[in-house]
Parts: sequence; structure tokens; C-alpha cells
Amino acid sequence: MTAAELCYAGIRELGGLFRRGELSPVDYATDLLGRIERLDKSLNAYVTVTGERALADARAAEAAIRRGDGGPLAGIPIAYKDLYATRGIRTTAGSAVLGDWVPDFDCTCVARLQRAGMVMLGKLITHEFAFGIQFPGHRFPPARNPWNLDHIPGGSSSGSGAALAAGLTVGSLGSDTGGSIRGPAAFCGIAGLKPTYGRVSRAGVVTLSWTLDHTGPMARSAEDCAFILQALAGHDPADPASAREPVPDYLAGLEGGVKGLRIGVVRDYFFEQVEAETVAAFERALAELGRLGAVVRDVTIPSIHATPSFMVIMLTEAFAYHERDLRTRPELYGEVLREKLMVGGLFRADEYVQAQRLRAQIREDTARALETVDVLITPTALGPAPAFKLVHDPDFPFAKSNMGPFNITGLPTLAIPTGFSSSGLPLSMQISGRPFDEATVLRAGHAYQRATDWHRRRPPVAA
Amino acid sequence: MPELPPEITLDEVKERARLAGLPIPPARLALVQGFLANALRPIRALDSRAVRTVEPAVTFDAKGGAEVAR
Repeated sequence: MTAAELCYAGIRELGGLFRRGELSPVDYATDLLGRIERLDKSLNAYVTVTGERALADARAAEAAIRRGDGGPLAGIPIAYKDLYATRGIRTTAGSAVLGDWVPDFDCTCVARLQRAGMVMLGKLITHEFAFGIQFPGHRFPPARNPWNLDHIPGGSSSGSGAALAAGLTVGSLGSDTGGSIRGPAAFCGIAGLKPTYGRVSRAGVVTLSWTLDHTGPMARSAEDCAFILQALAGHDPADPASAREPVPDYLAGLEGGVKGLRIGVVRDYFFEQVEAETVAAFERALAELGRLGAVVRDVTIPSIHATPSFMVIMLTEAFAYHERDLRTRPELYGEVLREKLMVGGLFRADEYVQAQRLRAQIREDTARALETVDVLITPTALGPAPAFKLVHDPDFPFAKSNMGPFNITGLPTLAIPTGFSSSGLPLSMQISGRPFDEATVLRAGHAYQRATDWHRRRPPVAA
Repeated sequence: MPELPPEITLDEVKERARLAGLPIPPARLALVQGFLANALRPIRALDSRAVRTVEPAVTFDAKGGAEVAR
């Protein structure tokens, strides 16, 4: 395997190489740090590279593997969206407001992956407070899309998407309030899993909107997401929304295929404003799943058109979190973000309550649809990644979202690539399941990825 | 009480900003109006008496922890 192939290896493959002594976790981490040094100047995925920490983690993992007590993630490199609190390491949230914050604690997710033996490469740029894209002149410049540097990598887990696509880490953690794991996964041609609300702890991760925030893994395949989820999932008393549901073995059934799996497609809302190439790639993916034995049928979610009301919830909660700083030191926020956050202060209490009632209706209707099928599959984004020059227009509106419905409902949803646009940018679909049924979502995604090679294509910047 | 119009007007945006004490630059008022209108459209179309009783409840489990309804 060449060095270029090795930087794109999956967790199962790397773990085998480490355990057989054919590759040293220390050498591997050293190679990746060198690759970050070479390539990240143009990509800007990393805010902070933790080289010394990475080598110390790798040495500890190597020792554990030699003792025979390293788990499946021992020695595997990981990098964190810069919303995840890391002890002794600056955690900026992509904002001047927290630009010099050095937490004295690790958030629960980081602590769990550290215990699993993962090697921390660094912190990855996020849209400011997981919401506002950085405009030129911002203290923390935005990441660029490895498939085309003039295009955004998606957000808000922008550095996570860019770093994975460019082979600058093996795994990453993102957060997802309205699509911030799945959007970058879609735009960068990687995999991103938003688990069920409550499945993975958010304790110690900077908040955007309490009732919509999710944390979860990003990687280059559904299988790698399953490996990371296994180490993350489980109750955390430090997160008030954390669930006590038992954690299954996500890898045990991964090879089970999709024969007989019932797939539901919601044909109205999720196809509105979606570009033709995205729809064509989606239909080819559905046909492939059908060829693999899945049974595809259309379903309806009557209240789905009320989805935009989720912005009332998100913006109101975000304003509640940011109000003090917005009023006392507004100059520290990016200008457009500041105004978007202020919108949250303009809603009335009754409007927030009505939005929550509509949310309950959407949740109930979606649950009813999932009584007749095992998963829902929809296009993740409306099209490929837009160019910076488009999104840097201050009047660029909120786009209609195919991802928001699964934050409203809290359902587990995996985004994986389905092909490329004629401009060479990745396209994606999302697979959503019943609450806490990540195993079925991952199994479906893995079955599709065994039959296709979209997730093995590499961007030109990584050649 | 008169019924709400289906769309947010610019004057309503200004009044909301004034009441909240939030300075929205005049050049951004139209953008803010768009955000508000998009988010509130489903709510303004809602007949709140017709929504089934699916209230945004918080439930509590016997072990003492608060669990947000899923």
C-alpha cells in the first residue's frame, strides 16, 4: 500500500496493520502530521494541530497494542470540530468570542475516544458558533472544499469534512443542529452520522440550540462511523438529554445486507428545489439498493411542509444562549452571524410554543411513516457545494433544508455519497431510521458502499 | 382580536426589533424580514385549535432525571 493510499485507509484495515505489527501508530501519526503540514495551507481545515499530543497518544496506543489490550480504535487518528472542549487545548468555536478559551476539562466525547485509544491530531475549524460562515477578514478563516477550493466544504463541521476528504485524519466528530454533520459530508463526499437525539453526549460541546443539537461521527465510510459510534454511545449524566437506551453492537450486523429492507421515499417536500443531477444520482442509488434486495415504496409525512418553523426553535434557543454577549460585546461576532442570531430575539413566546407544537406533529407523522418502512431515504442537500462567492453575499438566504426534519424528529440519519455532479463535486443521500436504530441505518449505508465506490474517489488536492 | 396577516411586514420587523432592544441595521432589515417570514409562515398558517394535543411536554423518569421528549 502506498503512502497516499494509507492516508485514506479505513479503521478496520488500519487496526489490522497495527495489531500485526506491520504499521506503527507512531509512524502513521507522524505521516499524517506531515501531510497536514503540506496540504492544510490551502485547505485550512485545522485551527490547531496538536502534534505533540498526537505522538504521545500514538506511543500510548502502540504500547497498549503490544500488551494486547488495545481496542479497535487504538492508534486510530481523530480530530475534533472546534466546539468540543479539550483540556489544555484552545477551543474557539470558530469565534473571537471564545478565541482564546482554553478549557480545563475534556468534554465527554473526547474523554471516551481518548479512553478508546484514539490519537488526537488537532481541532478543526467550524462555522462561527456552528452557525455563521466566516467572511473575509474573520479571525478564523473558513476551510475550503478539497474537491474545488473555490467552493465551501459545507458547514458547520466544515474542517471535519475537508480534513476527511483530503486524507488529513481518519475520523472526526461533528455536531448537527440543522444538518452540520450531514451537509459537510454531502459536499465533501464522505460519511456523516447524526445519531438519535440523546444517543451521544453533548456535555462540554458548545451549544447552538439545546433541543436540536446532536453530536456524532464523521468518517469516510459507514463502517468507520459505526466503529466510532460504538465508543461514543451510551448514557452520560452530564447531558440532561442523554438517553438510557442500551447500546447495541453496531458492527455485529453491519454485513447483514439490505435484502427485504423496506425503504420509504417521501416524494414531495424532499424533492422540491433539488437539482436534477442530485435527483438522478439519488434514483440510481435507490435502484442499486433495490438490486441488492431492498423494497422501495413511497410514503408521506403530511406535516413535513411545516419544517421551516424549526428555525423559530433554533434561532430562539441560540439567542437565549448568546444574548448576553450579543448585547455587551457584539463587535466580537461576525457581522452577518450577529444579525442572524438577533433574529432569534424577535420571535414571540407564543411563536416558539407553536413551533414546538408543529415539531411534535412532524415527529408523530414521521413515526407513523416509519411504522410501514424500516428507513427513509432522501437527498441530503439540494445540490453540490456552492461557491464561496455565492455564500459570501451577505443577503444569501437560508436555503430550504432536507436535513432539518431529522433534527426536529431526532431520528438517526446517515449521509453518504451517491456520485458526482458534472462539475466534479460530490452528491449525497441520507438514510434515516427509527429512534435508536442506528444499526439498521449503518447496515443500509454499508451495503450500498460495498456495492459502489463513490466513497473511494479522491479529490485532486489530495493526489 | 384581528387575524394576523400571512406575511411579516417591514414595519412589523422594525417594531419587533424596537421592543427587543436589538439594533438591526437598516440595510439588513429586508434580510431579517425574509428570515422571519420563512420561519413564521407555517405558524401563521396554523389553526392552533386544530392541532392535535401533541404538546411540547417534558417527561420525567422514575430515576429522577429529566428527559426531553423524543
